[in-house]
Amino acid sequence: MKLAARLLDLAHSHGMRSIVVVGTGKNVGKTVVVRALCESAWAADPTLGLTSIGRDGEAFDVSDALAKPRLFLRQGTLIATARAAVPATPACEIVDLSNLHTAIGDLLYARVRTGAYYEIAGPPTAWGIRAVIERLFDLGCSRVIVDGAVDRIAALAGGKDGVIVATGAAAGATPQEAVENITALVRRLGVPIVDSARPMLRIDGALTAEAAAAFSEARERRQIVVRDPTQITFSAKAFLRAAERLDLRCERPLTVIAATVASIGRERYFEPDEFARRVAQATALPTFDLYTGKATAA
Amino acid sequence: MNWESFADPLTRGALQLDWLAAALEPVSEYGRREFALLVPFSPGQIEPLRANLKIVDRFAKELDPSRVDAIRDALRAAPDAIGAIARGAMGETFTDAALLEVQRFCDVVGRVRGLLEGVRAWSSEAPGEIEEVARALERGRSGKFGFYLADGFDETLSAARAAAGAAQAEYDVARRTLAERVCGRLGREDIGSDEFILMREDLRGDLPSDVHLIREAPTYYLCELKLDGRSLEALARRDAAAESVAQAEEAVRARLSDVVRRNSAGLNRECGSLGRIDLLIAKVRFAQQHDCVMPEIVAEASIAFEDGRFLPLADELARSGREYFTISLDLHDVAVLTGPNMGGKSAALRACGFIAACTAFGIPVPARSARVGLFARVGWLGIGGDEEPGGLLSSFAKEVIRLREVLARGTSQVLVLVDEFARTTTPHEGKALLVALIERLRAAKGCAFIATHLPGVAGAAGTRHFGVRGLRKVPQSRVTADVPAALAELAAQMDYTIAEISEDQEPQTDAIALAQLLGLDDELIAAARMALTWTR
Repeated sequence: MKLAARLLDLAHSHGMRSIVVVGTGKNVGKTVVVRALCESAWAADPTLGLTSIGRDGEAFDVSDALAKPRLFLRQGTLIATARAAVPATPACEIVDLSNLHTAIGDLLYARVRTGAYYEIAGPPTAWGIRAVIERLFDLGCSRVIVDGAVDRIAALAGGKDGVIVATGAAAGATPQEAVENITALVRRLGVPIVDSARPMLRIDGALTAEAAAAFSEARERRQIVVRDPTQITFSAKAFLRAAERLDLRCERPLTVIAATVASIGRERYFEPDEFARRVAQATALPTFDLYTGKATAA
Repeated sequence: MNWESFADPLTRGALQLDWLAAALEPVSEYGRREFALLVPFSPGQIEPLRANLKIVDRFAKELDPSRVDAIRDALRAAPDAIGAIARGAMGETFTDAALLEVQRFCDVVGRVRGLLEGVRAWSSEAPGEIEEVARALERGRSGKFGFYLADGFDETLSAARAAAGAAQAEYDVARRTLAERVCGRLGREDIGSDEFILMREDLRGDLPSDVHLIREAPTYYLCELKLDGRSLEALARRDAAAESVAQAEEAVRARLSDVVRRNSAGLNRECGSLGRIDLLIAKVRFAQQHDCVMPEIVAEASIAFEDGRFLPLADELARSGREYFTISLDLHDVAVLTGPNMGGKSAALRACGFIAACTAFGIPVPARSARVGLFARVGWLGIGGDEEPGGLLSSFAKEVIRLREVLARGTSQVLVLVDEFARTTTPHEGKALLVALIERLRAAKGCAFIATHLPGVAGAAGTRHFGVRGLRKVPQSRVTADVPAALAELAAQMDYTIAEISEDQEPQTDAIALAQLLGLDDELIAAARMALTWTR
């Protein structure tokens, strides 16, 4: 079975209707993963929905003007994107208009009628992305793929959405640093659900590094409970330290199902197999490298 | 709604005119635009107001509530096509999303027309233009909500797409064949991205000739597929075919845009018409929901109604399961209103202001019948207006400043509503100020309703005196904890009727009975009754 198909299969085995791909940073192969997932999902069932938290699939990165991998979408794919991002040609079927907004204007739903490169610019808010996913299912999608962002997936917590975390050589100056970053992110997103039978301390809003340090200093033994994992808002290293000392929990957990690695970056390259092996070992997740075509078991 | 000329913020707060605005909110962007521009009829515009109210009346009589709701549902679905139509009028070629907006707009116009069929008071603004545009776009209708630049619009487009589909399929086959060949040589399942990594240890022999080397590392090669001659030729044919499709699609869009542009004046008129219908239907719905009547408009600055209601309070009471008692009144001058606490004096004043506001904006009024003049303004003075900051001023000082503002704006064609002015100063000076105010308002031939607890004001000023009838009997039970129950019992015993009484008639006050009902201890109540006999 092809690699992306195995990723989809993994999501299916977890009972996930939608898949959200998030990255540990920029240029870690997120779009490559989304593109491969789309190709694979489309081959299985063309009633596929796609959206993005923010903007993806553009030819050049708007922040550094460097070329980016583009999204080639097949006929039948339903996209939720900005009106301004819909290409004049080939014409799409405009399925519905929306009152939601994206960074580049109003959102609409369009069905790809001719395979071509498309740019996806979805709503920037967590609640907006939840609404879009629901609407895509309403419009007949059997599966939805979201090009996501770590800090904006709060609305997906507690739902049937599987998270794939992408990392790559751009995510750290050394393989060690990149591995630490993805480990911290995966552990943060995978904060377990609260045990209601045990003492707990609920945090309204975000758990900051300062608050976590204070709890740690006070040798807090109760469960520290946030609404969802995105409410834990501190760096990778700080999180790993806090997680060693505190019993961090959430009310609405996220389900991280896999990691992907891109060992080639614009500025550096990591040894591919070794990098994938270390990520799989540290995160305890099945790890996929779409560039080498290899999967590494957890 | 533009309240600025009609009621200042304090008056708006006291009369809860924001409640009225919310109750009249149209459902479409077109209606909301009209609503934002809505201004009150001024005192000289009696005939236009009568004509306006007559239209509302006819619609309210001819449309049953379910049809009104259906029209609002249709209007709610109307996209805001004004921007697209304007750009089209300037010669811009429409995007497919804009064509969908125009199509949906035409659909809404058609649906609203259908729902208004048979209503004699209505006629379409631009029937021909809408139909021509709708006809032109019909081939693009796709599914329940969508639009697609379908092959049926143009044979050239259809042929170009067929050719492009074939060219794409040819390229896909050529590239897939190439990729499979490379995968076979490399012994891997697939090539997951444009660029792919090949581990040196996995490579048997040299790199295949179909692979382009991007980067060489000690343990791996970063590569990409090198398109062969067949793939490159297929790619060139695909790109050429895609260009033909682009040209054909743009030609169809230009043709459709031209149809919209030719009819843009009519479409614009219909946008305005939809807005006016939305606003009109909002008024009709308001009238039907709140059982309103068309007021008779009179030239004098006066207000008279039977069974009038202050709707925000009636709504609040209904939500808590309590009854609202209507009032009837004929006010054509300056009159004084007295009565017990909780007897509805403030609600009576507010009902007057609310009915005057409805009338000024051409809205049916909440009453069984009404005869109302066109007021240029309503001015509220006293309890209930949102308090403005002013910590250094006493309550009385704030009232005086407020009175100065109301008088400064002039009192001609103004309905002045005064709720317990000067209640916080000495009674004899407060009474003197009220009498003086009444004389000023009467001299200006103003219309005012002045609620007060101060005795003898009407007699001293020589003006009409209305009184709330008050408690029929003093409730016997005393409720200490359950205030809502006490209020319900009080309401059951209160006669809220407002009737004209003689100038010097002492108003029924019932304050001590009310205090007893609300749980003041017997000893204090007895002492109060004793003190009352002494002060008399």
